[in-house]
Amino acid sequence: MSPPEQLSEQDFQRLFAAEAEGRLDTLVDQLLTLEKSGPSPELLASLFREAHTVKGGAAVVGMAQVARVAHALEDLLEEVRRERRGVDASLIDAVLGGIDSIRTLIPLALAGEDHEAQASEAEQRLRGGLQPRGTAAEAAGQPAPPASPSASAASSGTPVSGHDAISRSEAAQPSAASASAPAPPTTSPRGPAVGPAPAAPSAAAPSAAAPERPAPSEPAVIHPGEGGHWSGSEMVQMPVHRVDELVRLIGEASAATLRLGSALLEQLERDPSTVSEYRDLVRSLNELQELALRARMVPVMSLAPRLRRAVRDLARETGKQVRFETRGEDAEIDRGVLDRLADPLLHLVRNAVDHGIEPPEERRTLGKPPEGMVRLHAMQLGSEVIIAVSDDGRGIDVARVREAAGRSDSTAMDMDDESALYLIFRSGLSTATRVTGLSGRGVGLDAVRASLNAVRGRIEVRSDRGQGTEFRIAVPITMATLRCLVVNASGQTYAIPLHSVRAVLMPQPSTTVSGRAMTMFDGRPVPISSLASVLGTGDGCSGPAVVIAGLTRTHALAVDHLVDQRDVVVKGLGELVPRLPAVAGAGVEPDGSILLVLEAAGLIERARRGEMGTHYPSADSVGGVAVEPAGTPHSSLILVVDDALTVRELQRSIFEHAGYRVQVAANGDEALVRMAEERPDLVLTDIQMPVMDGFVLTEKIRSQPALSSVPVIILTSRASDEDRKRGLEAGADGYIVKSGFDQAALLSAVERLLGAPA
Amino acid sequence: MEVAPEASTAVGAGQLALLVPVGNDTYALPLERVREVAVEPRLTELPTAPPVVLGIFNLRGEIVPLFDTGRLLGLRPVNEGAYAVLVETEHGIAGLAATEMPLTVRLSESVGRSDLEATTETFLVGDRRLAVALNVAELLSPARISR
Repeated sequence: MSPPEQLSEQDFQRLFAAEAEGRLDTLVDQLLTLEKSGPSPELLASLFREAHTVKGGAAVVGMAQVARVAHALEDLLEEVRRERRGVDASLIDAVLGGIDSIRTLIPLALAGEDHEAQASEAEQRLRGGLQPRGTAAEAAGQPAPPASPSASAASSGTPVSGHDAISRSEAAQPSAASASAPAPPTTSPRGPAVGPAPAAPSAAAPSAAAPERPAPSEPAVIHPGEGGHWSGSEMVQMPVHRVDELVRLIGEASAATLRLGSALLEQLERDPSTVSEYRDLVRSLNELQELALRARMVPVMSLAPRLRRAVRDLARETGKQVRFETRGEDAEIDRGVLDRLADPLLHLVRNAVDHGIEPPEERRTLGKPPEGMVRLHAMQLGSEVIIAVSDDGRGIDVARVREAAGRSDSTAMDMDDESALYLIFRSGLSTATRVTGLSGRGVGLDAVRASLNAVRGRIEVRSDRGQGTEFRIAVPITMATLRCLVVNASGQTYAIPLHSVRAVLMPQPSTTVSGRAMTMFDGRPVPISSLASVLGTGDGCSGPAVVIAGLTRTHALAVDHLVDQRDVVVKGLGELVPRLPAVAGAGVEPDGSILLVLEAAGLIERARRGEMGTHYPSADSVGGVAVEPAGTPHSSLILVVDDALTVRELQRSIFEHAGYRVQVAANGDEALVRMAEERPDLVLTDIQMPVMDGFVLTEKIRSQPALSSVPVIILTSRASDEDRKRGLEAGADGYIVKSGFDQAALLSAVERLLGAPA
Repeated sequence: MEVAPEASTAVGAGQLALLVPVGNDTYALPLERVREVAVEPRLTELPTAPPVVLGIFNLRGEIVPLFDTGRLLGLRPVNEGAYAVLVETEHGIAGLAATEMPLTVRLSESVGRSDLEATTETFLVGDRRLAVALNVAELLSPARISR
């Protein structure tokens, strides 16, 4: 074979490798649907088609061994399609095994390494799977079906023999498929070899001697939808680095525009905001930036197939029954951030199956359904995405965590349950009494936390003994740039992320209410402090006040003066600098100086602490996770009623952060029991719940003299007028729609009814 | 980032070392751990950080923290960053504050072990000057910095 031909074949092989990755992902996804929902003709046809296309593609590019394994896979699926074999776990295992083998073989074939033995073994395993279960007699009399022409030709093991397959009818398919197949974005940056069109190879001539292998664990791949394919005319494949470059250049253009603005002002003495051309330029750049950032966004749920697969495999291995649910299909996140979340989420999901969900018989004796549930729930909250991994398993045994940590740290024994729970994020801590192959892959929860720190994320955990555990991750939607308000306090400039800025108030006298300085904002008193004194860099600031909002609180910070608004590329301060809750990171200015980017929640916490003169013990923050104190016994009690653990716990956290006491109940019936124990000051309830829904609960509350005056707010995902009417008729005081779940609105509704927390 | 192997976290006799003056004392760092020395870096104070963090500065687009070498050793604070010795650690690059220009020497035989935390041995440099070799990994560990 002459060198040019060899190069070209290599390029086609890479193209195939990229295409196959997407197809194998689709196969896995569909297979898990098959296992969960049972066979349907469309699904089986689609599965068969995918396997068939992989086989044809492999044969065309000369990966004979891969083609053989794919062929065996195809035959197995054909048996299922013809109803000669039923769908059971062993079939799914066999097919998944075959897919894994193909994933392993492709890089070996690309690298030109010998993979005949592995291929034969994989093929044998799949052919073994062809014998239908329970019909051994039939199977015994009928050996494995004869290999097809391509497979028998390929079994000689020489690469050339694979070309025989080209003459087969499906030879025409792969090229068409390659053209429209989504090249997974992660492989794209490796060069033009995985470019969108098969025409590319002539331009791409990387050294064939040392081809790069695709990463074995592929990060998120955008799925074109259930078994569908992207139509070539509406999609353009683009390497991620080109989008990054675009974002960076737009950032530079924005910075240059700011300099142009100051030049206008200084040299021509013209206020740039009065120059319409300048304003047009700024507006266009802003739009451009938003579009470019959007191009980097992918759905959080693009990770779901991998997680579903992990749940399924581990459940099989440990003999558990686990259902994997997802919610929040529309939440999107920067793919750079999502890539970094893949491993932590995988770890959390595995933990949930391995340590959370009980074996079926144990669940039965506990009165739980034998099938456990692991849920991935994503939602966007302001500039953050919250991703929750929850299970309905046994919960975390805090006593054992405390005991395990106590061996190396005597203070652990004195911690309350909430603080002790956070000890699980410590390095080297494990309460597992056994090690399983899958969950013990060397990353602990400390590594999960470290990965999250790298993307400026936080993790929180809640666990109810016997009820389940929820890990909640909060990460910024993007790390590329942050629009900031730049202010000056005591001679130093700081950037405050604009998403946490509510308003800027002109200098005005503050009043003192019970020892705290307050100013008025939006008709309500808001505590006010000087930014310099909060940061400890100076005394009072006499200029305007910036009203900032953290997760739950609002606070006004007086500064000396406002500088401008700009986009800051925020960088971390490195691993060696201890985590500073009030500092989010820093940006480098065009002149080389450093601009500190502040964090609203941390600033507010510091401001409050400084003014109330109280110091929370350092155990408040374990491993960078801020744990706010629960409400004092004097603060109002809110009863949260919702059947979704995630929603319930999210609300618990919101109200506890805001200083209220919180009780939770999973349905109306449970709520009435809680209310009999202690009369809450307010009830917040969902409508749709098992046992007793929110309408009935409201009616019951209104009908009991001891409870009839308790305010009830109905919180629902349904925005129908009829629901609203029914809720108000039942006697609810307020009605909040969950879509676009807005904490500030929720808190202000509660505060209107209760007054601010004590 | 390339990080020198564990064996070179401390410096030994016969090796090239950077002598780092901190107040009245002199410390020695293995030369392969040192990336460069920045003279009067433009420091940005890091509010709310512990005093051991003197500030951060921009090193060709990279944000680097500068640490008070005296405080790190549990000794008298330096409180200034006239010179920043940039060292590679497993946790990234960091600056150690020096009060005078650091110089390179080849170390002679050790004159004894050093009892000070995060140090290894003492060397005689020049006629009467003693230099204490620093253990970079121990000195610039997150645990020591946040204690």
